[in-house]
Amino acid sequence: MMMRGRMFMTLLIVLPFLADAGRANENLVSGVSQDLIQITSNYDGSDIVVFGDVEGQQQPAGRDIIVVVRGPDTTLTVRRRDRVAGVWINHDAANLSGMPAYYYLASTKPLSQIAPGATLARYGIGIAGLQPDAVHAHHDVEPFRQAALRLMLDQGLYRETPGGVEFLSETLFRAHVPVPAGVTRGAYQVEVFLARGGEIESAQSTPLFIDQIGLERRLFNWAHDQPFGYGLAAVVMALVMGWISSVFFRRPA
Amino acid sequence: MEIYLPIAEMSVHWIVILGMGFGVGFLSGLFGVGGGFLLTPLLVFYGIPSTVAVATTASHITASSISGALAQWRKRAIDFAMAGVMLLGGFGGSAVGVWLFALMRRAGQMDLVVSLSYAVLLSLVGGIMLNESWIALRAARTGNVSPSRPASHGWIHGLPFRMRFRKSRLYISVIPPVMIGFAVGVLSAIMGIGGGFIIVPAMIYLLRMPTNVVIGTSLVQIIGITATTTLLQATSNYAVDIVLATILIAGGAVGAQFGVRAGNRLRGEQIRFLLALLVLAVAIRLIWGLVVPPPDFYSLTLGS
Repeated sequence: MMMRGRMFMTLLIVLPFLADAGRANENLVSGVSQDLIQITSNYDGSDIVVFGDVEGQQQPAGRDIIVVVRGPDTTLTVRRRDRVAGVWINHDAANLSGMPAYYYLASTKPLSQIAPGATLARYGIGIAGLQPDAVHAHHDVEPFRQAALRLMLDQGLYRETPGGVEFLSETLFRAHVPVPAGVTRGAYQVEVFLARGGEIESAQSTPLFIDQIGLERRLFNWAHDQPFGYGLAAVVMALVMGWISSVFFRRPA
Repeated sequence: MEIYLPIAEMSVHWIVILGMGFGVGFLSGLFGVGGGFLLTPLLVFYGIPSTVAVATTASHITASSISGALAQWRKRAIDFAMAGVMLLGGFGGSAVGVWLFALMRRAGQMDLVVSLSYAVLLSLVGGIMLNESWIALRAARTGNVSPSRPASHGWIHGLPFRMRFRKSRLYISVIPPVMIGFAVGVLSAIMGIGGGFIIVPAMIYLLRMPTNVVIGTSLVQIIGITATTTLLQATSNYAVDIVLATILIAGGAVGAQFGVRAGNRLRGEQIRFLLALLVLAVAIRLIWGLVVPPPDFYSLTLGS
């Protein structure tokens, strides 16, 4: 009560003097419909809902919301085929580390209408601005980075949806975020940005965990934790199945 | 219905995989071959990573060779001494092959190695078979049976470390069988094949083993090599997909039975002629993929 009263007093004094007085009094509150997604064997993609509310003194005019769901960092290895002795082979490669394994962005408007590129890049907003932490390559990396972004877009692992954030009321907004089958498991970040007049005014971040469960996960772990036992099991399985089929189909003598 | 393959890390229609196992099983029953040389390219065409395709096919061949080996064992038509000596070379070859495999995989050249080695080997084998079966077919039509006794290879009998192989009624150096086993072991690891189409001619023409023990002995050798390859691929490359293998084996076991029945209605040279055409078709498809400009010059791999 005290805090709000004082803030209100301050604003009353400052407001007439500052053009962007809304900066201090609009706050973001956001959440995710699910903070843990478990991928099972028959998982073929689902949606999560990111929702939020703009609290405090309202200034709806010129307000934009950007929702970013960012997957765990990974290394993208991009290979380029070239013709060598008449045969197309992987010739050049670049390793781009620190790239998100998944990136989904929804916004109220196209990004170019929300803020200048430099501002967006500072907050890691937008696919075009995604830059690797470190690069391992022999040549100019930019064509490889562009190819990586394009291939991730093709695979549906990077996506931008302008207009994907909708306001349900003056303050309440929501965005549907697809979680396709085949996404990397791990810790995701759900980031919500409030932008106005080309500036990011407020941001909030929520973690989201995607985990793979079930028999497939156990088999994967087994194959990597005890490769000898796993390999032996594969051999025994083959021998037993081969033997069973020969007994089963044996012609009556 | 889709099923997720834990090692290939992709979803596949299990009916399609079962059908592939059935089809390859049918052909292997029909032609009396393991079918690895058909299964690996088929899996790669379907989109299974070539590393997983190669490693998993090895276990499929283990399973499909068992019933034949058991049948030959009942007929006492297996030279275990010869199979054992060849396997000594085979273990070494398989280890070297798996090591090469890991090297190529790190360099991002696994697809190339698989396609290229298949294209070369299948073109050669298909060409030779087509030629041989065509001559046999023409001879059968004219009623003129050509004498096809293999040429004698005297140099093999001059090598040291001789050993007696009772079942094969041979007293020869162990060096040629070990070398053949080694070569097939390398190919098995890199290409996911059993190598029957190399071992059988080598046994007949190089080692001059009696035909009645060749099939059984080669099957024992193939089982030993593919089992070793499966184990080594699992421990060093984590590339064996047990779910994929189970579906393939189930389809293959049934398919092989129908194949054997269909094979009884065809003559030997007809079967070999059809097999040669099939082998060449696969080779042409692989060469096509290598020389035609790819739709996308860039490819992407996630993870380290």
